Amino acid sequence: MAGALELDGLTRRYGPVTALDHLSFSVPAGQVVGFLGPNGAGKTTTMRAVFGLTDLDAGRVRWNNAPVGAAERRRFGYMPEERGLYPGMLVGEQLVYLGRLHGMSAADAAAATRAWLERLGVADRADSKVEVLSHGNQQRVQLAAALVHGPELLILDEPLAGLDPAGVDAIAGVLAAQAREGCCVLFSSHQLDLVEDLCETVTIIDHGRLVVSGRVDDLATSGPRRLVVRVEGDRDAAWARQLPGVAVSEIDRGAARLVLDEQTDSEWVLKAAMAAGRVTEFVVQRRRLSEVFREALA
Amino acid sequence: MNLPEVILLVLVALAGVRLWFRFGRGRPGRVQQGRAGLPRPAGPDRPHGARAAALSRLTGYTGLVAAREIRQRVRGRIFRVGTVLILLVVAAAIVIPVLNKSRSGPQVVGIVGSLPAPLRAAVVAAGATTGAAVRLVPEADLAAARADLRSGRIGLAIVSARAVLVSKAIGAADTSAGAQLVRAVSRTLGVDEAVRAAGLSAAQLTQLARARPLPVTSLQPAPPSGSTHGASLVGLILVFLMLTQYNTWTLIGVMEEKSSRVVEVLLAAVRPVQLLGGKVLGIGLVAFAQAALVVAFALALAKAVGSDLLQGTAPLVLVSTLAWLVLGYAFYCWVYAAAGSMAERQDQVQSLAFPLSLPIVFGYIMALTTVGSGSPSAFFKVLAYLPPTAPFAMPVLVGFGAVSWWEFAASAALSVLCTVGVARLAAGIYRRAILRTGRRVRLREVVSASAR
Repeated sequence: MAGALELDGLTRRYGPVTALDHLSFSVPAGQVVGFLGPNGAGKTTTMRAVFGLTDLDAGRVRWNNAPVGAAERRRFGYMPEERGLYPGMLVGEQLVYLGRLHGMSAADAAAATRAWLERLGVADRADSKVEVLSHGNQQRVQLAAALVHGPELLILDEPLAGLDPAGVDAIAGVLAAQAREGCCVLFSSHQLDLVEDLCETVTIIDHGRLVVSGRVDDLATSGPRRLVVRVEGDRDAAWARQLPGVAVSEIDRGAARLVLDEQTDSEWVLKAAMAAGRVTEFVVQRRRLSEVFREALA
Repeated sequence: MNLPEVILLVLVALAGVRLWFRFGRGRPGRVQQGRAGLPRPAGPDRPHGARAAALSRLTGYTGLVAAREIRQRVRGRIFRVGTVLILLVVAAAIVIPVLNKSRSGPQVVGIVGSLPAPLRAAVVAAGATTGAAVRLVPEADLAAARADLRSGRIGLAIVSARAVLVSKAIGAADTSAGAQLVRAVSRTLGVDEAVRAAGLSAAQLTQLARARPLPVTSLQPAPPSGSTHGASLVGLILVFLMLTQYNTWTLIGVMEEKSSRVVEVLLAAVRPVQLLGGKVLGIGLVAFAQAALVVAFALALAKAVGSDLLQGTAPLVLVSTLAWLVLGYAFYCWVYAAAGSMAERQDQVQSLAFPLSLPIVFGYIMALTTVGSGSPSAFFKVLAYLPPTAPFAMPVLVGFGAVSWWEFAASAALSVLCTVGVARLAAGIYRRAILRTGRRVRLREVVSASAR
């Protein structure tokens, strides 16, 4: 996958611990890319490496086929996992300051600050100190801090964590809009359903190594098939548990979600279900992203 | 070349080096139009914009960081209240002695019986040698003199040019102006009596009256005058307060940026050395501005009220104090900033700040002791060449007049050289420690870590 951001063989060791192990992947422009992995997989280290915030033992980061330096990084936007703003500084001043550190003039930074605070619904808090804002509003201001200078690449570490549904919608909407405008967006999250809705592409890593990377649609339609079958009078799907080549992955209000291996024919499963009772639901489904995640890490 | 010129030269040279360093690193680029119509930097390592502050234009991103520090610090209540308090204390220290001096009128001496004109003049002259203006008033008799002594209308009485009467006995250790006057008058009358008893001729008496003190040659320079003594003390206290206060600000400021994690956002945009440099520059400028304000205020007020503070080498001491405040802050700020990058909590800050403050406290105490003793020891002179203690020792030596311009310049140059070394080491520690979170970073880890 050719992309604007390319990570090539990133390796980072902390004593005996290998945080990144020859990690390579790329992030195309104009897409929101989900960056997934269990805790300690190396996601934050990878993001920090893009900004030069961690020293690499090996590997390189390239942006539009050129090495990344201070000038390039100034055109990137970053929202770290552990949010970072001056607690006692006014919101508006803080955003103008950060905009200027990314090379904007004072006037441009002030205009962009007003625009982003308006867009994120916190314009009335421009003269408040960050420390008095609610968690959700702090999160919005933190996102504005990453966006104020109009970055070409946006890297967000857990931007949706701890947000209410309205906050999630607001931030997700901004990320999608950024991608539509040509921005390269990479964000990490453990909320896989949200990632599935928001991202066109995902990259999954574990133990600092790439596990899988690709379009969400491709990943969802590949791998073992899924069936959702509801048999009247059998809420525990006892009928399916004895079938060879069929695994019951979950039961949701009486409907069994079945995972079929490659040799198992779905019509044969339907016949087995009909033999067990009246079949009220029989649906062939895509893999969920959470299933892709679990199966990739299994 | 005298000392003020040397100080001026050093300051101009430092400013010149700074400007050369900054301007030699590229000019501002142009703003490109970014995605979604937002302006975007072109790449050079400095910000753009016609309306950028003067400081930002001079020093790029470092200037932006410094400007934020200045804004935040000057706005803070601690700074404003602290500045007003310092000015009030300085004003009190200058005005109160002047008021006391003007309140203490001439010493009144009662004369019982007659006192010949030459003796009257001799008594007034004896008063002048003790710094007191003497006014002679006639007393009707001894009883009236006793009454006036008791009421305090007169300080002493001369009885028939033969005896001196005071209200209360004067101890040998009493150095008050009144006691000195009584001793001087007593001695003058005694000498007069002895001279008259010697039966000298008129010519001999005239010769005696014209006696001049012999010139005195000293092995060591004179101790500072009262005003220089005061200026040295004011300067010492100023340097101590400023170094302690502003270095602590640096330490806590760096620690807070680390603990709030804002440093991660900042370092995604600017290099560690720019962030660190901006912080110490900003806080240093606030410190210097406050100190300069205090010194200028003190000098202006002293001149306005006719204080002794402007006499002798006192102004020179204050100016050299300012110069050494800059040099001292420049030396210590890097150390404190590096320490701040290793801490994440207030309790960690305290344990780091204590050992760092030891040389400051040591230098301060040594300087105070030396000002009190009136004579610098050889060890103290060595301290004036060591960058950690020179900010305290060198201005005191200037006050004593015990240092030549080249010695002053050599000490300043040594301090600048050591500051460069300390800054390099501190920047390395800061870069390695500032992003290590979760526990206090040990010095061993960041010093021994390879410079990757």
